[in-house]
Amino acid sequence: MKYWTFRMLKEKVSFQITKGWMQVFSIGLLLLIAFFILSLSSGSNWISPTQVFMQLSNMTDEHAFVIETLRLPRTLLAVLVGSALGISGLILQSIVRNPLASPDIIGITSGASFGAVLFISVGTGVVSMSLLPFAAISGGLITATFIYLISWNKGVTPIRLVLIGIGISAILKAGVTFLLVFSDTYVVSKAYIWLTGSLYAATWNDVTSLFWWIMIPLPILIILGRSMNVTELGDDVAISMGIKLQWQRLVFLGCAVILAASSAAYVGGIEFVGLMAPHLARRLVGKSFLGLIPITGIIGALLVVIADLIARTMFLPLDIPAGVFTAAIGAPFFIYLLYRNRNR
Amino acid sequence: MNKKFSVLVFSIIATIAILAACGNAEEKEVNSASAEKETATSETRVIEHVLGTTQITGTPKKIVTLYQGATDTLLEFGVKPIGVVESWAEQPIYEYLKSDLEGVTIVGLETQPNLEEIAALKPDLIIATQVRHEEIYEQLSQIAPTVVNTTLYDIHETTSLIGQSIGQEDQAEKLIADWESRVADFKEKIATNENYPFSVAVTNYRADHARVYVQGFAGSILTELGFKEPKNLQGQKLDIVKLNDKESISQMDADVIFQFMEDDAAVKNTYKEWSEHPLYLNLDAVKNEQVYTVNEIVWNLAGGLQSANLMLDELYTHFKLEK
Repeated sequence: MKYWTFRMLKEKVSFQITKGWMQVFSIGLLLLIAFFILSLSSGSNWISPTQVFMQLSNMTDEHAFVIETLRLPRTLLAVLVGSALGISGLILQSIVRNPLASPDIIGITSGASFGAVLFISVGTGVVSMSLLPFAAISGGLITATFIYLISWNKGVTPIRLVLIGIGISAILKAGVTFLLVFSDTYVVSKAYIWLTGSLYAATWNDVTSLFWWIMIPLPILIILGRSMNVTELGDDVAISMGIKLQWQRLVFLGCAVILAASSAAYVGGIEFVGLMAPHLARRLVGKSFLGLIPITGIIGALLVVIADLIARTMFLPLDIPAGVFTAAIGAPFFIYLLYRNRNR
Repeated sequence: MNKKFSVLVFSIIATIAILAACGNAEEKEVNSASAEKETATSETRVIEHVLGTTQITGTPKKIVTLYQGATDTLLEFGVKPIGVVESWAEQPIYEYLKSDLEGVTIVGLETQPNLEEIAALKPDLIIATQVRHEEIYEQLSQIAPTVVNTTLYDIHETTSLIGQSIGQEDQAEKLIADWESRVADFKEKIATNENYPFSVAVTNYRADHARVYVQGFAGSILTELGFKEPKNLQGQKLDIVKLNDKESISQMDADVIFQFMEDDAAVKNTYKEWSEHPLYLNLDAVKNEQVYTVNEIVWNLAGGLQSANLMLDELYTHFKLEK
């Protein structure tokens, strides 16, 4: 197989790009760009792609509000959230070496959900709703720290992390149900929309905030990413290769938590993307961790952009939470990939 | 190869940064432009509401209402909105409003109205509620001046807010005065009833639970009419009480029960099970045959001044009082 090797910054960063990876990457990117433009064009009124380009380059001002205030931030947020959730799932699956790990199962999303639902049920009409993201992020971060600390037993092993995560997640889900039962009906309907995950009412502020949250873990992943390939071979192998295993685990876990909690903060509990995007990526390009990051990001972004496109155009004039459709479009594709590769 | 790649990465980051900067700059321009336009015209009224102050110029002609109560109440002013949200039952528009709202655009769900549809109507006033639309207030304000009600069902607040917004304060006062005189008339006539003042409970059956509406739309109107809260829930300032178990049936206890439910097999089944329970048969209203089934839309889902009047009509009939 043809490949190119890159070594940069005194070999601190190095990776290989194969021809197959390039193909998948460029096809994925082109698809994403295509759906991005389609998403800017469609809505209550169809605005042709040429008009969209003219609007974006300021040659016309006809669609300023619809494109620049409504569709562009919404689509950008979909891209950011999708890639953040996908990459978060990829990190978690690599840390715990379990294909079923994802932010929703390990308890991060449940923590964020609990924070958000608590805020919605106590704060509606009392505190400004613009503080909701902080409640969700703190919920996610506190829960993750808690899970990490409880799992600690002369170091953290993946199996303890997963089991305690599932336990905490169950407690928090019970807490969410409790809050829903004891809240006013209109608060409950608001909380349900949040729990499903909706890109509705995305603003530029959401986009820029989430962008900076994602920028925190990204350089860490690029620099430390190659060590993950070794760790996936097992704890003993990793330690004998000179990897500071507990440090690595803590840093990567931190990255995954920031990605998942911040995206949950801005769009709510979109599920499935964190679980499926890494699997789809692995089916397409193999197992190199660094190579998987961009592909997982693109696939996650595609899932959410398409889900939101369907959610806001299929049942016009109704605008439905995108979380309803992420599984509906991802699962069939995933099953198809498994089916096609069954004899390999 | 190495260098080339670095250049490529750098240029991608630079492009993203430039694009992001453009986005922000454009947004600011739009904001300042609309601000200038507002200050330039004369005859501007300033409305204070729960999420801020809104300037309204002239008399709004193209109004979009984003909750059921606002749609219902706006029609009482003789003003027809150009856009409304889908109703909770009899979708997309309640039967009792259908003739008044012919040809009106539906702009999506009350919980998540479609901003593009609203923008396409180019309205000059949007009436929203804090409980549903706090997150989109900024965006709504960019489409048109937006006024926001605190609750969903407070007919007094909705009426006076709409009055101020469309420049018909007099009409708002008249509508409220009419309502209050009807309330006074009802209280006077019901006082002749030997059991007055009695307690009432508004109950609702769902597929998996039952509810008592202590406040909410129907509850707050019944309180205004001088009725007392359900016997076991008095003085607790409760809003809507969910009964998840048949053992809590005694919470429904009152002299009169008004009940409503969806026309749905699962709901009917819950009702059947609950109404055959010994605790239910022991309720005062049940023993005295004072349980009435009422119209769900009028009593709960509409939440406006018109439906309040319709509800009052039903009460006159139930207690056999003359209007």
